[in-house]
Amino acid sequence: MTRTFKHVVLALIVFIWVLPFVALVTTSVRSETASKTSGFWTAFTPTELGHRFSTHDKGKTEPFVTMSGNIFERLNQGRDSFEIEGTVNSILFKGRVPDPDKPDKTKLIRQLINAGEPMDVRGGEFVFHPSGDFTWTFPEATAPKPKNLDTFINQNPVFGPDAYIEVLFENKNVPNALISSFIVTIPATIIPITIAAFAAYAFAWMRFPGRDWLFVIVVSLMVVPTQLAFLPVLQGFSGIASWATSLNAWMTDCEATKTCQVASKSFASLWVTHTAFGLPLAIYLLRNYIVGLPKELLESARIDGASHLQIFTRLIIPLSVPALASFSIFQFLWVWNDLIVALYIGPANSADLVFPIRLQKQLGTFKDQLHLLNASAVISIIVPVIVFLSMQRYFIRGLLAGSVKGG
Amino acid sequence: MGLYKPTIAGNGLAIALTVIFVLPITAIFAYAVTTPLDSAMVQLGHWLHESREWSFPVLQTQERFAKIGFAIRSIIIAVGISFLYFWLTNWLNQGLARRSSKGSWGKESYIIESIQPWIFVGPALVLLIFFLFIPAFSTLSLSFQEADGTRTIRNYAFLWDPSSLGYEQFRYAMRNSIMWLVLVPTVCISLGLLIAVLADSVRWGIVAKTLIFIPMAISFVGAAVIWRNIFAGGGIEPQQAINGLTPSYQIGLLKALLGHTAAYNEPLYSLKFWGNFFLMWILVWVQTGFAMVIFSAALRGVPEDTIEAAKIDGANPFQMFFRIKLPQIYSTVVVVWTTLVILVLKMFDIPYALSANDDDKLLLATMMENARNNWSVGGDNVENLFAAIAVMLMVTVLPNMIFNARRLRREQKELGH
Repeated sequence: MTRTFKHVVLALIVFIWVLPFVALVTTSVRSETASKTSGFWTAFTPTELGHRFSTHDKGKTEPFVTMSGNIFERLNQGRDSFEIEGTVNSILFKGRVPDPDKPDKTKLIRQLINAGEPMDVRGGEFVFHPSGDFTWTFPEATAPKPKNLDTFINQNPVFGPDAYIEVLFENKNVPNALISSFIVTIPATIIPITIAAFAAYAFAWMRFPGRDWLFVIVVSLMVVPTQLAFLPVLQGFSGIASWATSLNAWMTDCEATKTCQVASKSFASLWVTHTAFGLPLAIYLLRNYIVGLPKELLESARIDGASHLQIFTRLIIPLSVPALASFSIFQFLWVWNDLIVALYIGPANSADLVFPIRLQKQLGTFKDQLHLLNASAVISIIVPVIVFLSMQRYFIRGLLAGSVKGG
Repeated sequence: MGLYKPTIAGNGLAIALTVIFVLPITAIFAYAVTTPLDSAMVQLGHWLHESREWSFPVLQTQERFAKIGFAIRSIIIAVGISFLYFWLTNWLNQGLARRSSKGSWGKESYIIESIQPWIFVGPALVLLIFFLFIPAFSTLSLSFQEADGTRTIRNYAFLWDPSSLGYEQFRYAMRNSIMWLVLVPTVCISLGLLIAVLADSVRWGIVAKTLIFIPMAISFVGAAVIWRNIFAGGGIEPQQAINGLTPSYQIGLLKALLGHTAAYNEPLYSLKFWGNFFLMWILVWVQTGFAMVIFSAALRGVPEDTIEAAKIDGANPFQMFFRIKLPQIYSTVVVVWTTLVILVLKMFDIPYALSANDDDKLLLATMMENARNNWSVGGDNVENLFAAIAVMLMVTVLPNMIFNARRLRREQKELGH
């Protein structure tokens, strides 16, 4: 009994954890109308949705006695995705009918007509079936104007990749955000690893005055909230930017084209800031790993006359691959997912926004186009999830060692 | 060996100056030289656009390819410069030492050995000093300044003066922080322990753990979008706006379960006071995987003989967990707890992404952002107020930081270094 209980509890938790992903992906493959009028859980079963169709094309003027057609054919005309299928429940008839109280007058009515019931449309008898087939019969040949009818359809589930195509190819923000995120993330992962590996080696195997307390200070910087550093760092960057602007004006002929201004918040400032903020953890992780490497190996290399740089590049780097991998995944995910540093330090022009900021903006701009919002979110999380799943083991190792990092 | 100090200092200075001049100039030069790559990429984009007959404007393709070109050369230059640094300094160090030692091999290697460590730790130390160490202190100093630079404690007036800017907000932020601090780590740790125990005892545990762990890889903003589908109502107001006829349903799953009609559109996380708990849940969803993985590893490390002994003494599963296993992984629980506390105190992304920035949902980090954007009414010392709140944030993190530092020192001692 307890065994079943265990399975049930765990299954329930997993269900709660996975459900939001189902919501995310489902919403992203639905049509705009469907995603904003019905919940994602209705996407898998026939759901009653409203549509409007016109009985025939404008400009069709040959008189007829009986016209037959199909509601679904009319609805799907000119539609190349999310084709509507299902059964027609009813039609909401809106029109004028003779008023029983006042013999010469008509009155406007709204009435729900079920399948099979006849209704009076422009003087003809309009009958439709759940399959969508309809007939429109007049007492004599006439050429009526097309009539728009609102119909309620028990619509079958339909999915399509339209939202992805739209955000990736028709909306320029998402591709830009994707490129920007890569521009930020790749150097902001490689540079701190390079710098930290050298520093970690020095802290682990080289002798210099103040080594131990320097290491303690470096590691304790790990928990300093990044917010504390934003203002001065930003001021520093605007100082450099104004200096670069005047250098630019002096060296090039940018004044003619008014392009001298060097932005203080740029990709470069993000790289440097992310590097600095990532260093304490990186040094801590790598140093603890490098210290654990066999001492004899290094000493014999020293005796053979190898310089520190040779030992570092030929011995330490190949031996530290697991530690390097776990930190790089950690840093990659950290930078890719970062919002606050990019918001304060990163480039502010629309084309260069990184994905989390773009997504945050889309929560506002796409609040009426949930299919696009969700598709964009899927694209933004697919990169870290792939990285994470393919290198899960290293990531967990880094997590176990670096569980102290706060910011 | 003190004799060599002037030489070492001289060589070190020479290396530092060379680096300071050579690296930026090389970077600027490399950028200038590689500019044609951008136009080559534009050409490539143009060609691809024409040959594949892409439907969107050709200008967009060109813009995007120019950006990719810029990205590629930036990445190569940025990474190249950091490698160049190590190569250049090492070369300089050896060359200078050879020159200044005039053939004395012992002196040469001594000089090299003395400068080498600083070459290795130099970039890290410089970055940390300029980006974390000095900024932390200058923020502190900023927080005690007026906009014109005179000393004041006015920026902290929100601590005691009810009429000052941010008094209410600060109280709300503190109240919410305390709620977050109590609830989020508690729920994460309890759930994490529960899942770790359950998953280790069923065969599909590894699948369960991976699924629960995936949210760790996602950004908080992504998590906010994901949970929006559950907590928020429809996108259009009123719900039945399409052609005036589309029947409308509640689109937030939890709202539907709570019986909210489609017309009731307010997201659950925007509710007064109660909204806090929905925001907290999103963080719990992301972070439980972290607690779970760490506990799972720790539980596997519990010595087998203690478990055997307890079994022989007839302990039931609950006693086994609470009396035998939990006390032995207690220190791990503390580590996870401190990590989560720091994370919660600095929480920014989730409330910010969902624009849950009304006063009753403020946290210190979102209060900082609000101050930066909306407090210009307080005169031109917005930055100083911002700094003051940042310092308050630091103060709240401080106890944890000290705790962590002591733990690290202990660990370092255990490692024998």
